[in-house]
Amino acid sequence: MGTLNLDALSFRYPGRGENVLDKVTLAIPAGGIFGLLGPNGAGKTTLISILAGQLRGATGRISAGDEPLEALRRRRPHSLGLVPQEYAFYPMLTCAENLRFFGAMQGLAGARLRERVAAAAAFARVESVLGRRAGRLSGGLKRRLNLAIGLLGEPEILLLDEPTVGVDPQSRAFLLESIRSLAGAGRTIVYTSHYMEEVEAICDRVAIIDSGRVLVSGALSEVIRDDSDLEELFMQLTHRSLRD
Amino acid sequence: MRRLLALWEKEYLALSRDLLGLAVLFLMPAAFIVVMSLALSDVFRGGPARQTEFAVIAFDGPEFAKQLTERLAGDGFHPSPEPAERGVLHVTKPALTLIVPLGFERALGTPLGKAGSPPALKLVADPTLPPALLLAFQQRVLGVVLALRVSAMMRQAGIAANADAFDLKRAATLSVETIGGSGRPSSVQQNVPAWLIFGMFFVVMPISSLFVVERREGTLARLVSLRVPFSMLLLGKVGPYFVVNLAQAALMLLAGRTLVPWFGGETLALPARWDLLAAVTACTSFAAIGWGLLVAVCSRTLEQATVIGGVGNILAAAVGGIMVPRFVMPESMQKLSEASPMAWALDGFHAVILRQGGAADIAAPCAKLLALAAALLAAALWVHHRRRVLVSAQ
Repeated sequence: MGTLNLDALSFRYPGRGENVLDKVTLAIPAGGIFGLLGPNGAGKTTLISILAGQLRGATGRISAGDEPLEALRRRRPHSLGLVPQEYAFYPMLTCAENLRFFGAMQGLAGARLRERVAAAAAFARVESVLGRRAGRLSGGLKRRLNLAIGLLGEPEILLLDEPTVGVDPQSRAFLLESIRSLAGAGRTIVYTSHYMEEVEAICDRVAIIDSGRVLVSGALSEVIRDDSDLEELFMQLTHRSLRD
Repeated sequence: MRRLLALWEKEYLALSRDLLGLAVLFLMPAAFIVVMSLALSDVFRGGPARQTEFAVIAFDGPEFAKQLTERLAGDGFHPSPEPAERGVLHVTKPALTLIVPLGFERALGTPLGKAGSPPALKLVADPTLPPALLLAFQQRVLGVVLALRVSAMMRQAGIAANADAFDLKRAATLSVETIGGSGRPSSVQQNVPAWLIFGMFFVVMPISSLFVVERREGTLARLVSLRVPFSMLLLGKVGPYFVVNLAQAALMLLAGRTLVPWFGGETLALPARWDLLAAVTACTSFAAIGWGLLVAVCSRTLEQATVIGGVGNILAAAVGGIMVPRFVMPESMQKLSEASPMAWALDGFHAVILRQGGAADIAAPCAKLLALAAALLAAALWVHHRRRVLVSAQ
């Protein structure tokens, strides 16, 4: 799969006057981690939702290499994986039942399903809690289960929407290391976060968006110049006024 | 198909771990069946099955009081063991007290309209006595008085005649046959299908609750991102709750056969045509699930789902003859009840259980329920399509 290209992508929620995304153009190369940054309400989650196929009605073009993303997903339905910022699993089901369910929803069955459940559980280090109800896990384990579910279908494009919110430093370090290793396997990873040090630590390229517009985009080393850091740049571009 | 089976299994697992939801679906209708069958048992009893006490106070003397009492007794009316001999009327017992004024017996032989006609009788009735029973006793009193008057007049004419010969009870033999041959509906036969239907429609609660949680927690968005069609997500709810509705039907019929008689009520008479019962149950289930899906799609919060689903069900039950039998409603309310899907379902169940009807008898209610189910499902898909937004993104 080649570069994920977003070309003049715009979106407006029904019944609202302003565009949430306004002609967003980005190039997200394969085999790296792309940091998508912005204050609350900037349009990050909307952009992720459009890429994941949850929101319809966006104008513009999204392509993976030479092929429209929609065509790729029709051809390979599980080429894209999503790890949303919510704990998007069933709290009343056990971890194993959640993994089996979401695996089955991606068309996996039999030995292949068992193999993928075991691999995803091992990758996210949740093997020891497979029999426990997901709702009773700690915050860190819930985040890891969320990640494991997103990896079941071995997606080529992985969308990670604030995957480290509410976890302790140990779990955060583990999650970041895991995500870095996923990029090493040639996947395209879009990563949103409010933690600038995380983005600086694992992302190759970043884009800062606000009010649906791209303020800056490029390689991390190009975006951060002189002696400033990412947080300083972020505050300069998006200003200090509270957003919510 | 594999994905649909996985959705059904997930729904089954989620429901089986929701003890409160299971209690609402199974214990609530069973409790209503037992309580309401016992509470309303007298309302459904007619004639001798229902015992009503009466007393006679005759100022012409105890012999005339005894004669009237013997003639009035029967068909469910029996003399009070505590006769109001001293003229003291109890507050509630006996339910009926006939007061015969002085000179009534002597005046029986006087032709009507002439001077000296019998003075007026007075009937004192318990205000909670059903009007039909009061009317029946009134007719009974008039029949007895007519027989006494005719025999007295014939005696005056020199013809020996016993008043028994003119007793209306002996005028003719009249047998009553009910449609279907199963006799009058008993309390349990009204209440088992009624509260079964009520319980079946309560699948709206777990269906909509889980759906709201799925949307709020992002699982629905994740499933959509896995390219699971929304129609399949809805179908994923139909299978498990159809099985739940069938299980409810089996258990509520069992409650009518075992639990109600165990508490002292009547035993439910089962229908001869189980296939028709299954058909009515299936059609009711589809309508109930369709309602659940529409509420699920329309509700944004658990509170909305609970209020819309719960209040909607209670209103449909109140109007549809579930809580109050339709035959005791005034005509205008009976017409209004025809708009309630629960009334259609009750018509179907009554056609099978009470009237031992055939396929033609359940065709209309089943068609209405299926049409409603299709309309509700279409409305759920339309509402989803209109919103075009599945997640509370931003």
